[in-house]
Formats: sequence, C-alpha cells, structure tokens
Amino acid sequence: MSEEKKPQGHTMQRFDAEMEELHRLTALIDDKVRRQLMDAVDTLRNEDADAARAVINRDEEINDLDVEADDELIRLIAKRQPVAKDLRDIMTVGKIVTDLERVGDEARKIARLTIHLYDNHGSSPNSQMLRDIPRMAEMGQKMVADAMACFKDRDLERAVDVIRRDFELRDEFKSALRHLSTFIMEDARSVGHMVEIVLALRALERIGGHGKNIAGYVIFLVTGRDVRHADLNAIAREIFEARRS
Amino acid sequence: MSSTTVDEEVLMAEEIESKEGVGGADLGARADEIGATVGDYTVDKPRMTARGVNVYYEDKRAIMDVNLDIAENQVISLIGPSGCGKSTFLRCLNRMNDTIDVCRVTGEIKLDDQDIYDKKMDVVPLRAQVGMVFQKPNPFPKSIYENIAYGPRIHGLARTKDEMDEIVEVSLRRAGLWEEVKDRLDEAGTGLSGGQQQRLCIARTISVSPEVILMDEPCSALDPIATAVVEELIDELRQHFTIAIVTHSMQQAARVSQRTAYFHLGRLVEVGPTDEIFTNPVHKLTEDYITGRFG
Repeated sequence: MSEEKKPQGHTMQRFDAEMEELHRLTALIDDKVRRQLMDAVDTLRNEDADAARAVINRDEEINDLDVEADDELIRLIAKRQPVAKDLRDIMTVGKIVTDLERVGDEARKIARLTIHLYDNHGSSPNSQMLRDIPRMAEMGQKMVADAMACFKDRDLERAVDVIRRDFELRDEFKSALRHLSTFIMEDARSVGHMVEIVLALRALERIGGHGKNIAGYVIFLVTGRDVRHADLNAIAREIFEARRS
Repeated sequence: MSSTTVDEEVLMAEEIESKEGVGGADLGARADEIGATVGDYTVDKPRMTARGVNVYYEDKRAIMDVNLDIAENQVISLIGPSGCGKSTFLRCLNRMNDTIDVCRVTGEIKLDDQDIYDKKMDVVPLRAQVGMVFQKPNPFPKSIYENIAYGPRIHGLARTKDEMDEIVEVSLRRAGLWEEVKDRLDEAGTGLSGGQQQRLCIARTISVSPEVILMDEPCSALDPIATAVVEELIDELRQHFTIAIVTHSMQQAARVSQRTAYFHLGRLVEVGPTDEIFTNPVHKLTEDYITGRFG
C-alpha cells in the first residue's frame, strides 16, 4: 500500500533527475547484494568453493557502487542544499546504501564458509548442520527486498511488518544455535565446523537486522521521526499518528 | 531632514511593494489548501503580538487574520513567495503602512503591552522602538558619524558631544563596522562598500536603542561575503534586540532565525521552530515552497 502520492517535481528539473539517478543507483546496489547473498547460499548447497571465490571477488563491485553513491550524495547536497523531505530522502539513501553494502559483506561470509568446508579436503560437515542456512538466508533476503520496496513506495505498514519479522529471524537464529549445540555434544570433533557455521548464521541474522534498519529509515523518511531505537509499539504509534495527520 | 528620512524609507517600501505586487495577483492556485495556521503562533516571552491582523489596499485584502508573536531576543524569519504579504506584515509592525493612503490595517498589534495602533500612539518614537533596515542600503548623504548621530540627536538621547561620540562608537561596534571606519568618520557614508553601507544602516537603526529591528531582505543587494558578515551580525544583535527578517533566501532563513513563519496569499500558513520547519514541515504548501517545488 502506498502511503502518499509522489511529490510534484522541483522547479529545477535537474534536481529531480539527480534524485532519480541516486535512487536508480540504490536499486542497483540492492539488486546486486541480494543476488550475492543467494549466490553465496548456492555455493554452499553445491559445495562449490570456486563459485564461492567468485562471489567474494564480486563484492568489489558493490564497494565501488557504495563509493559512487556517496560521491553522488555529497555532490547533490553541495549543489542543491536540500531541505525537508528532500533532505530526509538524501540522508535515507545514504544510510540505506551503507546497510546494503554491509549485507554484501555478510554474503561474503557465507561464501567463506563454503571455502572453509569444501576446499580443505578435510571431512565434510553433516548436511544437517547446515539445515537452517537456506531458510534463514531466504528470510533475510526477503526482509531486505521488502524494506527496499517500502522505500520505493513509501509504505509505512509494510515497513512495520519488516521490523516485526526481525524478531522472527532472531528467534530462528537462537533455534539454529540450539540445534547446532546438540551436534557438539554428540561429537566434539565437529567444533571447528561449528564455529564457522555459527559465524555464517550470525551473518544471516545481521542481514535481517540491515533489512530492519532500512525499514526504520523509511519511517523516518515519511514521518520525520527517528525510530531506530524505539520498540515496535512506539513505532506502530508513530505510524498511527502519521496516518491521522 | 526628519521627514526626508521617513519619506525616503516609505518611497522605498512602496517601490518594493509595487514590485512584489501587493497580495500577489497570480497566486490564486492552491488557495483552498491553506486552512488555519499550523503550529503555535504564541511564545513564552513575546515582545510583539499580532492578533487578527488584516491589511487592505483599497478593497483588496493583502493580509488575512494573521496571529503571530515575536519572541524577545529571537530572530523570526518571514518567508513565502513574492506577493504573499510578508513585507506588508513586517511593515505593520512599525506602522510603515500608515504612510500609504489606500492602506488600512485592522486587528491588534502590541509592542509589549502597548497597542501600537492606538490613536494616542506617536509613530516617531514607535519607529525608534521598532527600527527598520531595508533591502537596499540607504545611508544619508552625510558623513559616517552624522549617519549615526542623526537619530539620537532628534530623539534627544545625547546631552554632550562625549555622549554622542559614545553612542556612535557603540552603535558602529555593535554593527561590526567600527574597526573599518573609526579613522574616517568624517567621510561620506555613501562612499562605503555595499556591505559596509548596510551595516551602517544597521548601526543607524540601533543607535536609537530600539527594542525590535525589522529587516526587509537586508542582504539581497549584497555579495556573499558581505551577506555572511551581516548574517553573523544578526546573530550577535539578537543578544540585545528582537529581530524580524523578511528573506527570499531559504538558506538564510535557516541560518539566522530561531523561528520561521511561512506566508502564502496573505495568510500565515505555518509557523514553528526553524529547525523543524526546514527538516519536517507539517503543511504541504510549506514543504513544497521550501523544497523549491513552486514559488
């Protein structure tokens, strides 16, 4: 659901064009990082260390786009001196891009797990140990995708839903840790694999956190209220008040 | 000379008004969006209060039911598109509109608890209490010293030459001009640069110890450096005076003022802390204007 109409254009049309370019760049980074995440999970599923190295190398492209977006932001602020909603939009893009770049970094950690598990000619892990990774990756990826859709549509209700799903993902993380601990209790020799798997699970949990952050920025963008450190009830109240006004 | 000063200023005010097109004939669009003023128009320590102010030019209503407090030792910016009535409202605050025959002001404007439109009110001391700085620097064709000394002399503020010298020095110091002119006080004020002339006019205004200073686009004729100097000065002056400034520069309003009032089609659309107006305005018209979507 779209919360509000797109604002009418600026008198200075080049400002609109520059903002559009910034949004296009953000969408491109979003697309690339989410593909990186799913590719990284595929390398694990396919036990393909070479493909995992390719995923890690591709992170450079995201880093370059991150720098490009920052440069564009600085130029826009210097040239246009944006205020009000324009300023919030630009600040929001700056924060979103940082979170997306970190999603890329977390995806790299999953690829590293593939290399650790399948490139050392040691014992392969029990597939049950990796059971939770694809599901958590899908949840995290979907949270980021939905948060970005909220950004595009200025959709507050969906943003709240993304924030709520972060609790579910954290519960999944805790559940996965409990599940892994049973393997350690059964066979302490698997502890080396376990540490790497826990780090990967932690990376997936963080990806959900980045999705939640992006959803919070959307609420700031639309309402002007910073909800990063507010609880879900307070956020819901903000949305209610924003809708009423 | 006294009448010359006021006449000059009134002529200039009329000139500006005619340029702006009183009431803004071409701003009918979006009139239905205005509604009641958004934000709190009252303040804890008001120096001036305006209630239900209307201004008519013959039968044309240029200001409509404006309520606004002007807080002590604060700068308030009046912003809005050309012809929105912000300059007209500013000039109500020291009755500069009285000199325009066809202009009629209704409602109540008080300086502290004094009704400035009371029939017994003498406008000459009022305009000393509520001074004005115009868009274009307008020093008298006299020496720098005389530019400052003139006001205190006609208001009887100095009994001796020493007292007058002190007023001149203090006024020029407060206007940040003393160091630049102290060795050439006998030279013509009109020989100074544009920025210096404007600061001379500010010094002239403060020489009669006003309570409120009204500024009508005081930097629009100045270069960026002179503008920065005047803006810095405005910030220092608010320690001693209450200031209302009309400006077309959004950045200037954001930089110099603590409160901002947005006018549109003669109505006060929104008023609030400048920090909030420029980050999260409530009214759509305010948002569209300050982000450059019209105006």
